[in-house]
Amino acid sequence: MLLSIAFAAGAPSAQAATSQGLPPMRVIRLPSPHSPLVTIRLVFQVGSADDPTGCEGLAALTAAMLDEGGTVKRTRTEVLDALYPMAAEIHSYGDRDTFVYAGTVHRDNLAAFATLLSEQILTPRFSVEDFTRLRQDALDAITKTLRGNDDEDLGKEALETMLYRQHPYGHPVAGTVAGLASLTLNDVKRFYADHFTQDRLIVGVSGGYPEAFPDAFAAHFAVLPALGTPRAELPAPQARQGMDLLAVEKESLGNAISMGVPIDVTRADEAFYPLVVAASYLGEHRTFNGVLMLSMRQKRGLNYGDYAYVEKFLQDGWTTFPLPNVPRRQQHFEIWLRPVPPASTGFAIREAIFETDKLIREGIPAAGFEATRAFLLNYVDLWAQDGSRRLGYAIDAAIYGKDVLAELKARLPTMTKKDVDEAIRAHLSTANLNVVVVGAKVRELAGKLTAGQPTPIVYDTKETPADVRQEDKLIESYPLPLSASHIKILSASNLFEK
Amino acid sequence: MTAAAKAFPFPTVEKTLPNGLRVFVVPYDSPGIVAYYSIVRTGSRNEVEPGKSGFAHFFEHMMFRGTPKYPTEKYNKEIKAMGADSNAFTSDDMTVYHILAGTSSLPTIVTIEADRFQHLAYAEPEFQKEARAVLGEYNKGASDPLQKMVEVLYDKAFQTHTYKHTTLGFLRDIENMPNEFAYSRQFFDRYYRPDNVLLLVVGDVTAQQVMPLIEKHYGGWKTGPMRPEVPVEPPQKQEARASVPWQGASLPMLLIGFHAPACSTTDIDGVALQVLAELVFAERSPLFRRLVLDEQKVEHIDGAWERHVDPNLFTILARIKESKDLAYVEKAIYQEIARIAAEGTSEDTLAEVVSHTRYALAGQLSTADKVALVGAEFLALHGELSSIDDTFALLSKVTVNDVKRVASKYFNPDNRTVVILEPEAQ
Repeated sequence: MLLSIAFAAGAPSAQAATSQGLPPMRVIRLPSPHSPLVTIRLVFQVGSADDPTGCEGLAALTAAMLDEGGTVKRTRTEVLDALYPMAAEIHSYGDRDTFVYAGTVHRDNLAAFATLLSEQILTPRFSVEDFTRLRQDALDAITKTLRGNDDEDLGKEALETMLYRQHPYGHPVAGTVAGLASLTLNDVKRFYADHFTQDRLIVGVSGGYPEAFPDAFAAHFAVLPALGTPRAELPAPQARQGMDLLAVEKESLGNAISMGVPIDVTRADEAFYPLVVAASYLGEHRTFNGVLMLSMRQKRGLNYGDYAYVEKFLQDGWTTFPLPNVPRRQQHFEIWLRPVPPASTGFAIREAIFETDKLIREGIPAAGFEATRAFLLNYVDLWAQDGSRRLGYAIDAAIYGKDVLAELKARLPTMTKKDVDEAIRAHLSTANLNVVVVGAKVRELAGKLTAGQPTPIVYDTKETPADVRQEDKLIESYPLPLSASHIKILSASNLFEK
Repeated sequence: MTAAAKAFPFPTVEKTLPNGLRVFVVPYDSPGIVAYYSIVRTGSRNEVEPGKSGFAHFFEHMMFRGTPKYPTEKYNKEIKAMGADSNAFTSDDMTVYHILAGTSSLPTIVTIEADRFQHLAYAEPEFQKEARAVLGEYNKGASDPLQKMVEVLYDKAFQTHTYKHTTLGFLRDIENMPNEFAYSRQFFDRYYRPDNVLLLVVGDVTAQQVMPLIEKHYGGWKTGPMRPEVPVEPPQKQEARASVPWQGASLPMLLIGFHAPACSTTDIDGVALQVLAELVFAERSPLFRRLVLDEQKVEHIDGAWERHVDPNLFTILARIKESKDLAYVEKAIYQEIARIAAEGTSEDTLAEVVSHTRYALAGQLSTADKVALVGAEFLALHGELSSIDDTFALLSKVTVNDVKRVASKYFNPDNRTVVILEPEAQ
């Protein structure tokens, strides 16, 4: 019930703001008068997809200069000093199509926090010192941390370069080495002036704020240019024929695996909602009931977890829930397999595809459909537990034109197995899957997979049941549409150069 | 927020069952949602036998492997039917099982949780499969050099206390877990007992709803055998240093640990160290300004004293842009702590730290689940929810002299362990 209230409170306000001749930004309000906390979310519909060619990383660096640099009035240290006693933090994150600045503060401190936040966004200092530091941080994040400190993140980022070849989504949000190296402070200033504009801004406020606060706060942003550079239309992702494998060769105890394929469905489309059921059945993020989790971890002890998604999923901190305000104009189907033993990597890839193909071929089992539908009907309530997340979803609803939570609550009771099966058949396929493996022995693996050789699972545990063993035999030789010309083997140091 | 305001401002109802099980109910404004936390006061700290490191965490996994009444599949079906978020975590001092679901599911939650805490049953084959999922959990972190650095830090810093190993355990012990089926039953028998477990229920519930359910389903749970003592760590006699080899790309890193006191609601040293951590390492501190903003030699720096049952470490982590600056940064950290020991800080700054810490807690208490999470940590460590208010009251009493005293008492070279990561692929 809360969710529909959330949307009802948000959308009319947004319309009112534009229809009364106010600035073209949208304002979303979500009052919760008894709460001692207030959340502000500023969502700019600017993302790494706006990076000019050759300047990959410009959007993220500009976004970082706003919240990790100083302001005209205050140095970075003075900003931090002012934020400190109220334990407030401007939390920022970004993706291909958005950058978000969010903060939750005790209402005692709302006025001071709002002043600081608007100052950060409206009067960035753009100092050479901040630029030098933040550009170096971005370069280190790619060349040192992403390439060398987290194989799973590396696999996920590498997957996006495959899904979106020669496409504005096809490089990390942080940029590329060459892109970042080419940037100047003037590039940042120009990008800010052209893209951080009212037409791209949604201002959201939730919690126990004074009634007049949202309008008064939003009015500060009227000094931004009303209109910026129009958003370029996205090209369709490149069509591929057959499976592609990118193997990133490095020493490892476990090999990280990500795979996916673009889909022409987002939350704005009818088909998205039955696909949510399909993905949840296959592998809801960080839960134990998905088909992949049960068959790979529970039955076989292959790894720690296995999940499936029908839109980009960024985890919100340590929760199991998705970060709101990561909307995309184009989406993809993705499977994430936590690291598996190098010797069983081929088996794990085949098993994930085997299970997905089974779902596509046979449809969702009736019992699995009913259980997943019942699960989601309650589980989605947990996605919007606090004011910040409720506000995030209300903003996403304004962007997509559909509130994913309200839509699911409304659609699930009448959704049928047939709806899910039709959506699966229409939109999911593994025929042209992109697969990334990060880890050891990948060269040998690539050879076996292209030659169609079996890749059996290696057990060092007792008494695997006979039915599992029997299924293992099918999986280890499961045919993959992979040819040698669709294999790329790289070292991590080759990734994200340009 | 006034200084007199309670840090944990929610009314609480507490009850102890005849078998020793203690139950805490915190009604909270979360319409239709309840957080159900089962807190076992056992973590990797209790892994006293050689070769058994990582077992508390492994056992957390096994708790999802079913009972005669609710085999895994049936348990999972119940969780799925509720649309619940259900998981668990283990740390040095506790193992916490949590379910977040609709309030209407409370009777089912109590039934299935009481059942698995009393009647867990699994066979050796699935025990072995789960052991390999645990190895997978270790492996997923193995590409992060910090995992290895933390392992080395605690291994070097502790000689006899079980904090010597991390919660995941030594890799050799994890690899051997499939062979420890018999020990796993002993572990359950020893630690999963009503006098070692606390229940915390937060959300859209009343004690009148919760207590009768708990009494019905947990009332027959029996207490168990005596639990082994955890060895005491002798004082460190000299500085220990280690370097971690790393073939892949990485920023160089520096990880330092100083032996520090256990958590307490009466001894002020721990919270004084918490204040010191803010003064030296917060983003607005002089050290951060110097190393990160002005000199730009450091990408990230932090330091923390964390609450533990037994004396643990005050840890400092710095990610440094170039290896040549490792020694410089290490020295700068020691100099800054020495400066605080000599000069202290202003009363205003101290008041700001207290304000920051109180508002940070208030900000954390924003959902039933988060309230339960904070409550669970304090319950596991102190056994009382009132310890939250007691701790914050103690924090408010920290003086400039306390900060100076702990800065000179704990940060001497003989009390520290230093681990350096200098990547080969620079």
